[in-house]
Order: sequence, then C-alpha cells, then structure tokens
Amino acid sequence: MVLLHLVAWQRPAAYVLPTTRFIPDQRTVVSRAATRPRDMLLLVLRVLMFLAAATAFARPVLTPSSGSVATIVLLDRSRVVGAAADAVARARTALGAGDKSVLVVFDTSASIIASTALDSIARAPLSNSVGSLSAGLALARRSASELAERVDSVRLVIVSPLVRAELDSASAQLRAKWPGAVGLQRVVAARDSSAKAQVRVVRRALSVEDSSAARSGTTVVHWDSTSTSATSAQGLSAGDEVVVAQFGRTAVSNGGRVVASWADGTTAASETQIGTGCIRNVGVAIPVAGDLALHAPYQRIVRRLTMPCGESTGNVALDSASVRRLVGTGTSAASASALRNSDAPPTPIVKWMLALALLLGVAELFVRAQMKPQVAA
Amino acid sequence: MSAGPYGALLDAVRGVRWPASRRILGATLGAHTSQLKGNSSEFSEFRPYRQGDDPRRIDWRLLARSDRAYVRLTTDRATFATGIVVDASASMAFPAATFAKWRLARELAVGLGSVAHSEADPVGLSIASDRPIVLAPRARRSVLIEMIRALDNMTPAGNAVVAPLIASNRAPRIVVITDLLGDAEEIINAARLRVAARGEVVIVHIIAMEELDPPREAMLAVDPEAPETRRILDGALRAEYRDRFSRWVDDVAAKSRAAGVRYIRALTDEPAAHAIRRIAGESVRRS
Repeated sequence: MVLLHLVAWQRPAAYVLPTTRFIPDQRTVVSRAATRPRDMLLLVLRVLMFLAAATAFARPVLTPSSGSVATIVLLDRSRVVGAAADAVARARTALGAGDKSVLVVFDTSASIIASTALDSIARAPLSNSVGSLSAGLALARRSASELAERVDSVRLVIVSPLVRAELDSASAQLRAKWPGAVGLQRVVAARDSSAKAQVRVVRRALSVEDSSAARSGTTVVHWDSTSTSATSAQGLSAGDEVVVAQFGRTAVSNGGRVVASWADGTTAASETQIGTGCIRNVGVAIPVAGDLALHAPYQRIVRRLTMPCGESTGNVALDSASVRRLVGTGTSAASASALRNSDAPPTPIVKWMLALALLLGVAELFVRAQMKPQVAA
Repeated sequence: MSAGPYGALLDAVRGVRWPASRRILGATLGAHTSQLKGNSSEFSEFRPYRQGDDPRRIDWRLLARSDRAYVRLTTDRATFATGIVVDASASMAFPAATFAKWRLARELAVGLGSVAHSEADPVGLSIASDRPIVLAPRARRSVLIEMIRALDNMTPAGNAVVAPLIASNRAPRIVVITDLLGDAEEIINAARLRVAARGEVVIVHIIAMEELDPPREAMLAVDPEAPETRRILDGALRAEYRDRFSRWVDDVAAKSRAAGVRYIRALTDEPAAHAIRRIAGESVRRS
C-alpha cells in the first residue's frame, strides 16, 4: 500500500505559471515516484482502509475466553431405554451447572430441550419408537457450531443404551463430523416386548373390541381386501423392500406413521398409536390370482405389514467395535475452531470492519478532494 | 529626494539620454528637437524673407552685405512628455518567490522615468491593476518620488487590462511595461492608434526566465489569471510548450513592429540599468 502510494498516477504538485496557456492540454495525471512519502494523512487513511478491508475478508471471530467448555448431552428417550430415571440422572450429571450446556433429546427425531426441563422429561413416558442416533448427532453437530462462537471447546455426551437398531447408514458419517471423542453414558436397555405383542389382522370394518385391544397393546392390522378397486401394475415399497405387481388400492388415511408407500408416493399403509398398541391401516388389495404370494419380496413386505407396532429390534446391544468407533479418539472436548462451519454467517465484526473500510474510503475521497494542491512557483 | 532601493539604479542611468525618435511639435523649451524653427540661439539655416515673416528675424548684416533679405532660422528644442504604463496583473507576480517580473517592471519604470525627468520632460505613470492608478505627466521634482511610492504600494493581482490606459494616455511618448499575457492584441491595437496619432509607443515585454525554461519536474501548471486553467507539464510536453511560447513571443513582436510600435524584450535576468540603456540607445539610433 505504501509503495502504491509512492508510485501512483497522480496529479503532480501545482505550480503557478503565467504561461500555462501554451502547454498542450493533453493529460491530467502523470506517473511519478516520490522518494519521500507525501500526503501522510492520505497514506494513513489508505493503509487503514486496506487493513480494515483485509481484516473483514479474513472473516475474523471474537475469540471466546480461554478454558470455557460447553457440554451437549444427547439423551435417548426412545423405547429402547430400560432405565429412564437413570438416564435422566446421568444426563443431569453430564450437564452440570454450566449455563452453556445444551440438552438434546432424541427418539426418532431430535430436539433441544432446556436443561431445566429435565424433571419434566423424567416424568414423561418414553417414546414408542426406536431412537435414531443419527437425528441426535445431526442436531448436536449443528448446536455445536453455534456454541463454538461462544466457547472454547464443546464436549459431547451420549446417554443411551446404544442398541444396534438406533444406528443407521448415516450414523457413521454424522459421527465423523464430530471432531473429537464422544463421552458415552450407557444405560440399561429395555427388554423388547414387541416380539410378544399380539397382532390381530382385521378384514372388515374396525369394531370397539378392536380399538380396545389396540389400547391394551395389540397391534390391529386393518387390511380390508374386500373393497378393492381394479388392479393394475403398481410399485409397492415398505422399508427396503420393493415389489412391482398387479395391485389394487384402497383409501388409507394420511395420519400416523407411514409403513408402506406406492410408487407415486401415496401412502399404502400407515399406523396410528393408540394406548400401548396401534392400529395399522393397509390399503393394499391382494391379487385374487397369480403367484405373487410365492415371491420372497412380497412375503417380506407382508411380514412387515403384519408385524407388531414399531419394528421388532430385539434391542440388541451395539458390539464393542461399533462402540469404540462411536466413542472415537482424540480430545474429550472438540475445539471451537474445528466445530465452526465454513459457511457460517459472518460475525458482526466482519460487518463492522467492512463498514469501517467503507468509511475510510469515503474519508480518503473527501480528504483528496479537499486537499489543495501545493502551489509552488 | 529619497530613492530608497532604487538609488543604485538611478546612479547607473545618470547621464543616459533618451531623445525622441523624431522631431516633435512642442513649444516648451526642452531637450528634444522641435519641428518648429524659431529664434533660439542654435542657428540652423537662412531662408529668403517672405511676406508675413516677422521682420525682426531678418538678418540685417546679411542684408547689408548682399542686399537681399534673408530670415535667420534656428532649431528649437522642446520638452517631450513621457507616459509610463505598467501592467500589474497577477501574471506579473511571478515567480512567486521573487516577483522578478514585477521587480524588473518597477525598476524599468523608475529608471525610464528618471532618464526622461533628467531631460526636463514631464513624466506620468499609469498602473494597470484592479484599481488603476494614473499619475498625469509632470515635470516637477517630486514626480519620481510619487512614482516610486505608487509602484511600491502596488501588489500585482487580478486580471487588469492595459489597453484602456494606453488609449487614454495623452503623453506623446508612451512606454508600456507588460508581459502581454493578458490582452496582447488589445495592447497592440491601442498602441497602433497612438502611433497613428503621431505618438511614440514602446512596448517592453517582460519575460521571466522560468517562463522560458520551467522547472524540469512534472508539475500541474496553474494560470494565475485563470485558475481554472490547469495543465500538466512534464518532460514530454516541455519541448512543445517552449516551441509554442517562443512562437507566440515572436508573433507579438512582429505584430508590434508592424503596428509601428517599438518592441523591446526584457528578460528577468537582465539588469534593469542595462535594459534602460538599451531602450534609450535604440531610440538614439532610430533618431
């Protein structure tokens, strides 16, 4: 910047010359290299403007006070938790008294809960679904990015029995996005009662007894194949299974959890939880003739449609190798710099620096315009 | 009389004569050759007596010797009023550090006034400035002091015009001391009219050395009489500038001479006394 100031196209010093009219009127600026800096005020303004702009484009952040550590606690509230009170107690211990800690509660989805609401959570029943650790990890990672602007490092603690069904294909990738080790507080897993649950397939209109049975824990599968429409080639998917065959459709309400879908996205089967059981509406008309029933994919779909509410997981505990991968290596608390998102919104200091650079630019223009030429003669 | 800083100059020009360039028509006894043939003591020639001649001018001795009546003619000498017009526009305040142009103009005005006054000629002074000053031609002893005082109290500034002061000046000899940068055409035209009226006009063109050879460092030249005129002068443009300026100087010199005006160039590095002798000396050669 100083060199640019010294060597620049500029108006030279003014010189009173009565015979100016005899000078050809061609250029208004010349290139001249000054041996000593002139116009020190201009130089200072230009250097400051350059520094402010460079600082702004470097996206600076306000470094939080050293040593401040925040904790994110992932509390499992799905049905796989066997000791809910113990889990809440461990979560409370992990949260500590820090006002910068975050409690993330997850089952099939995750949400941030105020740590003061732990008592209320302890009194609430567990979810009837198997938890999704991926959902919890994703929200924890996003929360950590926000916390990183305020703290020096962030610790992640998972309070869960960690059964195999809670991990999916995204879990490993989401875990890899956490730059550090993960604290683990394993609680006792619940025994899987779904295997012993009764399933009642109803091929007529539902009755009061059906609803009562569902409230008491029975899975009522309402599969009324009598009101079928004309069959046509349809694609049916349930979970990972897909089968294409001649199917008929019956109307299925959109409420509840979708269990199976048609190829066009409409719901083929859904279930609604009632009490400790559920009612599953299946809108798939079974073909009257054909060998479809002999095909393995179709059989798997039928099994899925007639299984107890939720998925029977057996609550198999995660093997030790998977647990080690989940815990990971490195420091127990991830540094804030590693947690910050590159596409995170700029800190206010960036805007202030840009505004300062703009202000200095305007001041430089003003000073340059006001600067009277040094008249010599 | 106190001449102040002009003392050395006045000593240097003492004895310099500045005769009129031609016979003048004047009745007041002075140092310049008059067109009139009178009865002064300086004999010129005899002329046969004609009816109407003053009988007192008949040379009676010649009449007695030749029995023919001749009138004795003598050469009369008369005074020759000189008006000095000095340009005090802003362009004369150059260079700003020394005011060399204005200093030379003042010294020339005082020196020429002194030379003229030493021959008993009335001397007047006109200063072209925003508030013009006119001192009518006088032969009294204090006229030089008045001129010095007027010049010393003046600071060149503004866009003064010189031509009106030439047109309104009644002195038969007018010396215009100017850099011709304001109204050269008008000055030459006004001088042409004075010459046509049997006057004598001398234009002393003041040129600063810095105008001929500006500093070599690139500059933003500013015209003092037109500050909006600003132009860059650097090494690439110097040659063209010098060529244009010298052509203009030659042009105004040619136009002045074509108008019957004596044009004399005075550079700021020339001593004023030398320039005054040059002006007066050329007059002598022309006469």
